[in-house]
Amino acid sequence: MSAQDIVARFVDALAQRDVDGAMSSVAGDVRVSIAPLHVQGTGSAALRTVLDDLVTAFPDLLLTVQRTIATGDVVTVQLKVEGTQAAPYAGAINQEKHLDLDQAWRFTVDGDAVVAIDAYWCQQQLYRRLAVKRLDQLAIA
Amino acid sequence: MTVTVTRPRRTPETATAVVTEFFDRYRDHDVEAMTDLCSLNADFSYVPFEIWGKQRVLRGDGKVRTVGKTLWRGLINAFPDLTNEVRSVSANDDGDVVVQVDIGGTQQLAWGFAAPTGRAYSEPHLFIFRVGEDGLIDSVTAYWDNAGISRQLGHNEVD
Repeated sequence: MSAQDIVARFVDALAQRDVDGAMSSVAGDVRVSIAPLHVQGTGSAALRTVLDDLVTAFPDLLLTVQRTIATGDVVTVQLKVEGTQAAPYAGAINQEKHLDLDQAWRFTVDGDAVVAIDAYWCQQQLYRRLAVKRLDQLAIA
Repeated sequence: MTVTVTRPRRTPETATAVVTEFFDRYRDHDVEAMTDLCSLNADFSYVPFEIWGKQRVLRGDGKVRTVGKTLWRGLINAFPDLTNEVRSVSANDDGDVVVQVDIGGTQQLAWGFAAPTGRAYSEPHLFIFRVGEDGLIDSVTAYWDNAGISRQLGHNEVD
């Protein structure tokens, strides 16, 4: 299975809101860096929390892959995340707002597992769509 | 006599080299030289760039020679010590180059809605380039977190 196939398995599972399925493509000691959520470290537990929070907060999650770029053992996916907020997310209270957010996820694959994930998006865009007014008062509408 | 001019074939190595040079020139604040590495009609997309006005939203999408140059010049003016540190570069045979780079500087002039406070920022960015067969950059796309930058600059409003 190619690096691109392994990443596609992860993304396809997440698009189905299947966190267990997505995590099956990930090494236990995966290195995770998601600056917008201040997540930086090693281990699949942090990644699982990120994915669980996403599918819980946006139960109608729609994930659309715009482009996949394979550069050796690195696979970068440009995608759009859409959904309607149904639970608190990243500190923002639920105001049932619609989210649409372009993101880029950079995966490093070794053998048959993802060993590193770096995810990039603009949290300011996310908060704007969820009707957050201030970065230092996330939970105040 | 027939003279044949051959251009070097684009390879992952040559694509990486042109993108590395792009960031060297960016570090030197030489916007014209950055632009010279791009094709005449190169596409530009700074995905997080989004300014909401009363009647329209201004986005960082367009062409390198119009939107790109304007944003690069504005950023350098607002952050005169703007710099970058390339963390990783990966490329393929199709001319795609993916770059992890930290960009930062100290604010001296207004940038967007952020008033100058003299504070500095450094934020991870992901750049995705497409380098054409002629060795010039055909498209520039970038992702980063503006909330991270705003917090570091002391600007807490979600504009």
